[in-house]
Amino acid sequence: MKAIIGLGMVLGLLMILPAIQYALAAGDEPGEYLDRRVEIWGLFYRLMIVAFTVGTVVSGMIVWLVLRFRESNPKANPTSYEESGTW
Amino acid sequence: MVLELHKPRPIWQIMFSTHHTDVGLLYLITSLAFMFMGGALALILRLELFAPGTQVIADSMTYNRIFTVHGTTLIFLFILPSASAFGNYLVPIMVRYKDMAYPKLNAIAFWMIPPAGALIWLGFADFTWYAYPTYSVISAPGPAADMWIFGLKILGVSSILGSINFIVTIMKCKHPDLPLSKMPLLAWAYLTSSLITVVAVPTFAAALLMLLTDRLGASGFFNPLMGGDPIAYQHLFWFTFHPEVYILVIPAIGFMYEIFPRFSRKPIFSHGSGVTAFVLLALVGFASWAHHMYATGMSFTEKTVFMVGTLAAVPASAMHTFNFLATMWGGRIKFATPIMWAVGGIALFFSAGAGGVVNSAMPLDFITHDSYWVVGHFHLFVMGTILFGTVGFVYYMFPYITGRMYNEMWGKVHFILSFVGTVMVFFTQHILGLFGMPRRIYDYPPIPEWVQMNIIISIGAFIIGISMAIFLANLIYSSAKGKPADMDDPFGLGGKYYYPYQAKNPHH
Repeated sequence: MKAIIGLGMVLGLLMILPAIQYALAAGDEPGEYLDRRVEIWGLFYRLMIVAFTVGTVVSGMIVWLVLRFRESNPKANPTSYEESGTW
Repeated sequence: MVLELHKPRPIWQIMFSTHHTDVGLLYLITSLAFMFMGGALALILRLELFAPGTQVIADSMTYNRIFTVHGTTLIFLFILPSASAFGNYLVPIMVRYKDMAYPKLNAIAFWMIPPAGALIWLGFADFTWYAYPTYSVISAPGPAADMWIFGLKILGVSSILGSINFIVTIMKCKHPDLPLSKMPLLAWAYLTSSLITVVAVPTFAAALLMLLTDRLGASGFFNPLMGGDPIAYQHLFWFTFHPEVYILVIPAIGFMYEIFPRFSRKPIFSHGSGVTAFVLLALVGFASWAHHMYATGMSFTEKTVFMVGTLAAVPASAMHTFNFLATMWGGRIKFATPIMWAVGGIALFFSAGAGGVVNSAMPLDFITHDSYWVVGHFHLFVMGTILFGTVGFVYYMFPYITGRMYNEMWGKVHFILSFVGTVMVFFTQHILGLFGMPRRIYDYPPIPEWVQMNIIISIGAFIIGISMAIFLANLIYSSAKGKPADMDDPFGLGGKYYYPYQAKNPHH
């Protein structure tokens, strides 16, 4: 099993590394026209989409936790630690 | 704990005491005083930037002076001493020792701060809080610049002495029955941030000496006219001050590790992951300094190394955030003022971190570099995370320090106004940066988007100013006339906490 996982990791790396190298070297391809401004802003917007998506999930989780586990929530129950009085 | 108002003592007894809670109290009062002073300077800056043209500050030199002292004060005279304040209060109690390892050294470390603050405020230097050459070497007017350098030198020595004291107290004076694996996470926070200080700060101490001798004309380390390299200063500076970010934030996260379990009425979700994340942050803090310098002409390989080093902080930060959320999960949370600040702090911590990921990606850094995006990013981190954690902890410790309760309603008003103001100011600054407004400018052209956003930012800053005035009034009024606190359970949470808040190390 370990050998299969190891082989899988090596193959995965062999697939990822050329892709990374290709992406990093994209600007250096001879004869290829690259509008860096478009590329960079494109990267920015893609990262912003990721950040806002993750941010929505995390912020939503915080808001839900705050509402659900506040002591004034009708569903709130004493934690198991409150009985022993130590936490 | 000291109950100053229950057992009042002459102020000179506290001032010249070497007892850890007395020194902690001195640190706290001093740091809060500098917080209000530095914040007042920020309001003047925002008043000036409210609209294009000259508003309240006569010239750009005066603006630069206010700008420099604002940054220097809040970083070196507020955040660092406020962390030391609570460390002095709690670390000896948490490791079950009678005091700090070196009480006199502890008092000396504190008493270095007022003269250093006086040097910085009386000099009022104009070369910003990082004092980059060549301006700082060739043109910055003395004696203001030299007073700033001496002030920072003294503060650096104070930080190192304080850190050595924390490290020795924790590693050598800890009770033998208390293994490191069981030590509270706040004490771990002080151990890791102190270790970072001891490794990082001497580099800047050396850089300051080199800067001073350059200014005196005795050397030319950073002076291109004498064959020096100004970029070398930036490397020395950021080798200290990127780790410094973690020196500042780790205690604030430690404060949150005290607040979340207490108010959620359950233990921290994972002590081990908290320790791991602290240690990881301490390590990766040294692998990312040059991300502040992508625009200085580094090679692609160097930039890649520092980009990866910067991104390595993300998992550790995420571990803390997950730990806080998982601690709240399944709890019965009492939303008193301290935990409101802590929850707000994590929300803003995440936002600041997301902005940081954008900065660390080198192609994107070139569009945000030296723009208001960067101002928004680091202020969101420093104010949204560090100040929120610290202020929450001030409220948390208030009854233990004074023996009285603060006004809960005004504490919550303070939080809500500060949170709204912080979002208005620093989120808008990110967008303003994308619209191209450079940082550190005294005036700006009347571009409609810039004007609108600067107005929003200034209004947000004034809201924060009002909230801080409420905070100050609440602290002063409540410490004199607040309701006496139930010292066993001032927040009405029930239960016994895991270390004795009632511990009173005898005065000496």
